[in-house]
Amino acid sequence: MLKEIFNLTLLQHTIRTATPIILAALGGLLTQHTGMLNIGMEGMILLGAFFGVLGSYFFGSSLMGVLLASLVGVIIGLIFAIFVVELKSDEFIVAIAINMFASGLTVFLLRSIFGVKGAFSSPDIVPLPRVNFSFLENVNFLDKIFNNHSIFVYISWILVALIYIYLYKTPQGIWLRASGEYPEALLTAGVSAKKMKYKSSIYCGVLCGFAGAHLSLGYLTLFSENMSANRGFIAVAAIIFGKANPIMTFIAALMFGFFDALGIRLQVVGVPSQFTQMIPYIATIVALFIVTNRQLQKHKKSKGERELA
Amino acid sequence: MAEKLIELKNISKQFPGVLANSNVNLTINKGEIHAIIGENGAGKTTLMNILYGLYEPTKGEIFIDGKKAVIKSPLDAIKQGIGMVHQHFMLLPSLSVAENVVLGSEPKKKKFFMDYDKAIEITKNLAQKYGFKVDPREKIEALSVGVQQRVEILKVLYRGADILILDEPTAVLTPQETDELFNVIRKLVSDMNKTVIIITHKLQEVLAISDRVSVMRQGKLIGTLPTQQADAKILTEMMVGKEVLFHDLHREKVSGEKVLEVKDIKAKDNRGLTVLNGVSFSLRAGEILGVAGVEGNGQSELVEVLTGLRNIEDGDYFINGKKITEVNPSNMRNLGISHVPEDRLTMGLSKEASLWENLLMGLQHKKPFVVKKIHLNKKKIFERTDNLIKEYDIRAIDRYMKVKKLSGGNMQKVVIAREFSFDSPILIIAQPTRGVDVGATEFIHNQIMRKRNEGAAILLVSAELDEIMRLSDRIITIYEGSITGEFKNKEVTKQTLGLYMTGKQNKLKGSEDN
Amino acid sequence: MKKINLSYIISLALSIFVALIIGALIMLINGKSPFIGYSALFSGAFGSKYNLATTFAKTVPLVLTGLSTAISFRSGIFNIGGEGQLYLGAFAAAYIGITFTSLPFFIGIPLAIIFGALVGGLYAFLPGVLKVKYKIDEVITTIMLNTVAVLFTSFLVNYPFATTQGKMNGTEIIAQSYHLRRLVKLSTLNTSVFFMSFIAIVIYYLMEKTSIGYDFKMVGQNRMFARYGGINDKKQMLIAMVISGALCGMAGVFEVLGVHYRFLQSISPGYAWDGMLASLMAKNNPVGVVLMAIFLGALKTGSVSMENATSIPSELVMVIQAIIVLFIAGEAGFKDKFVLLNIKRKSKKAGETNA
Repeated sequence: MLKEIFNLTLLQHTIRTATPIILAALGGLLTQHTGMLNIGMEGMILLGAFFGVLGSYFFGSSLMGVLLASLVGVIIGLIFAIFVVELKSDEFIVAIAINMFASGLTVFLLRSIFGVKGAFSSPDIVPLPRVNFSFLENVNFLDKIFNNHSIFVYISWILVALIYIYLYKTPQGIWLRASGEYPEALLTAGVSAKKMKYKSSIYCGVLCGFAGAHLSLGYLTLFSENMSANRGFIAVAAIIFGKANPIMTFIAALMFGFFDALGIRLQVVGVPSQFTQMIPYIATIVALFIVTNRQLQKHKKSKGERELA
Repeated sequence: MAEKLIELKNISKQFPGVLANSNVNLTINKGEIHAIIGENGAGKTTLMNILYGLYEPTKGEIFIDGKKAVIKSPLDAIKQGIGMVHQHFMLLPSLSVAENVVLGSEPKKKKFFMDYDKAIEITKNLAQKYGFKVDPREKIEALSVGVQQRVEILKVLYRGADILILDEPTAVLTPQETDELFNVIRKLVSDMNKTVIIITHKLQEVLAISDRVSVMRQGKLIGTLPTQQADAKILTEMMVGKEVLFHDLHREKVSGEKVLEVKDIKAKDNRGLTVLNGVSFSLRAGEILGVAGVEGNGQSELVEVLTGLRNIEDGDYFINGKKITEVNPSNMRNLGISHVPEDRLTMGLSKEASLWENLLMGLQHKKPFVVKKIHLNKKKIFERTDNLIKEYDIRAIDRYMKVKKLSGGNMQKVVIAREFSFDSPILIIAQPTRGVDVGATEFIHNQIMRKRNEGAAILLVSAELDEIMRLSDRIITIYEGSITGEFKNKEVTKQTLGLYMTGKQNKLKGSEDN
Repeated sequence: MKKINLSYIISLALSIFVALIIGALIMLINGKSPFIGYSALFSGAFGSKYNLATTFAKTVPLVLTGLSTAISFRSGIFNIGGEGQLYLGAFAAAYIGITFTSLPFFIGIPLAIIFGALVGGLYAFLPGVLKVKYKIDEVITTIMLNTVAVLFTSFLVNYPFATTQGKMNGTEIIAQSYHLRRLVKLSTLNTSVFFMSFIAIVIYYLMEKTSIGYDFKMVGQNRMFARYGGINDKKQMLIAMVISGALCGMAGVFEVLGVHYRFLQSISPGYAWDGMLASLMAKNNPVGVVLMAIFLGALKTGSVSMENATSIPSELVMVIQAIIVLFIAGEAGFKDKFVLLNIKRKSKKAGETNA
């Protein structure tokens, strides 16, 4: 039985399953660096999944699906930024509103546009292309694990690298991080911290749009109610666990993807999957514990405060 | 002769509820060191923030080199050659000196990437040019405050500033660092043709370094004069208004027993550094002991220790002869201490709550305001509230009014009404008239004196020397966490106190009881 | 007597109005008439004895979860873990109901309620301690614990406690003595509404009339002030958290004892979130929470009828709710911008006369 569970397919599924988490988490870590923790990614992914299917179905191309999903992501990201940055609303409440909105709107549109309940699928939905690397075909286990994935799998890896470089090697990345760490310092240097926050929120929206499109167009082409299935919250977990560093977050997301895939396989052989499914959530609490305690220990001298003998 | 560089014409700035700048007309000449002085809240920082583009004026215009300048953001100001070093440094602690210096205008490699090596080179060259010793690679968090300030200045110079605004630059410096800074300023002006504006409230420094000085008070520019023609008395009068005439308050001879005593108290601040370095004194019934010191020398933490808000690292604390072992606010209140905190909004009040709720704090578990341990007796509570409103002349619509809508003076009266109404034997009072208008100040002083005459033991901490001198029977001076001197009020002058407050003189510790 | 915050009520009414307009727009875009839709909504909620009963039945869990939010938010600790506490409380009650089957109702029912409340309270105690003692953000921990609780009860109900009667993802039916009596034929309104009312009065009394409620309020408004005044802020926050969890636990209990007579994997379609919404709309005022809970209960009930009558999907109501939350969240910000605009306008006027 163990062979049924732990085999190459598990690793392949891990990569598949982790991809939407990676994409969303990349977006979320950008906003996290600007001082906004976005727990509304759940709703953003759901909207991305729905509008991905919508675009692909009506325009007959997966690219249109992705574009539509991204557009919706931009709009939601903008709304998030306006309410949190301009109107100084609580980012958690705005996020909860977004989640509620997405849940309601997607089911509503599912019924009113497609006329179905529960799920919508159709042969007219164009899936995202798969990518085949011929050089991988020679090595069996590499081929099984890494080859022939939907395109966003590979895009997500490229994005991890790109975002890492962006954050740590470019001035814009420094500004992004500064806008969360010490926005006044940025402002007095002539850079608008607000603009960086808006940017990060829009990037997050787009990336969540990608995540959703991958979910609904990547392998199966279908949209089902609440199909984001807590992935948005797992992405938050990955960000916290990875301390908002793109590479660490990527690893965390892979890990959570692994447990997710494991859980499904366990279920197939009749083992309760609920416990493996719990792992990301419990892990987040543990991670929070460690991260918070370490911050409490560090007493940084900063901002020119006077020290007395 | 004097070439006009910056002209601020009719600048006004209105914030919700407060007019921070009112029709200010100020001229800065090229190549001068211009000091802008005034008390806390006079509007000097607001004015400079307008010049630096952090605020937009509600009214008025700015001219630079004779041409109208539109400054809507710091970037506009930077483009005009203006740079500002703020009181709280704008440095990113986890980044290096070089990264901070070039922040906002980073040198780039291949259009997108940050060119770290160039940044380091730029920083090194700049430091050399202006004679600063600073390592471009060091992280900010590892640097001393004086060096951090140098980085801030380099930052401003990197962006090509010809006009430097320094906001309270010496607030965080040691006397030696201050001298070094002044040398730098002089060099910048004489060798590099820069113009420097200094915001400060320290008269001695103004007289030492500036060419001209402008005085602000309550949002208005009172006047500008060449420093040569100014002295401490003239400047103080301009800063504070007509000669502060405090008439004497009626002081009864109250002999008192020792009610509170601290011996060799040591305490740490929020960063774990020692902030009280062996403080000893005693407090008697029917006296006001004034604690005089420049803010930031440990008085706040001393108050926190006495009222149970901060732990004692070492030393002994006695109330009525009994040693205190458990330090927390509840315990201290039960032992008879009431506390008027230095910041009424963060600690002394809940601004969203009503008047009666604010006045109730501390009594909500005591009879007759509570029945059977949990039910609030609103009738008795409201009765007491209305009485206190009348007795302390609190200007409010009714007892349900939210405290945030009151004026500063009335807010303070709420705090004082509450804390005084407990009739506690010991009162710890900090900055009682900060942000309070003259009428309310007079009222509050009278109330404090009344309590003293009724036999309360009062510790009074204040940054206003006039207040200390008017009210106290005895005065102790605090400097860098130690008591530097103890005096009977009539036997000491303001100047002497000033010397002890700044550590220039220091009687050996040991205020043994006489 | 006490001043009611008029300007906030106006903001709230405006938010609801805007949300309803947007809802109407969505209906129009989908080719449905908003007039027909909204009138179906209204009559669906209040139009008949059966509808009214169903509205009040839906209100029961919302009042409890709403008060749960109110008491925790008011004390400055944000319990977002209501769903999880509800699930565990529900399962706890079901456990009692299927295990201690021979107890008479006057022992069994209180036992189930107390046990459910206890379990809910303890489950909230954990993130409370993490927050108070270790400064770990309770918003994230409570959200995470939601899923853990849902997964855990899902496991329980699919494996050890799975029902033998068909594939239901639920437990066995609880013993007859635990069933709460239905009040109106064919509706789910049951005697739990009386329990809920009693609990609501107790909570109202606690929050508004006692020194404990005063302490909660002060801790939530200005923690420093509360500490300074001698209140043990940490203790107060923990107590608030436990009561909050207990209330959600009880919401779960009544779903089991009064509506489904068993624990189901899907026992709550988000009652805790709706309760939170009610409390946010009411600014954590207990009386307002009850009113908003009725409002939301009406929306929920009405939306089902609306769908039956006009085939406008009931989920539209979720969209409307979300928009209301959004505007409430931004309410303070809107007001500030308004004030700033006024200052600018006034000064421009003055500037023009001041040539």
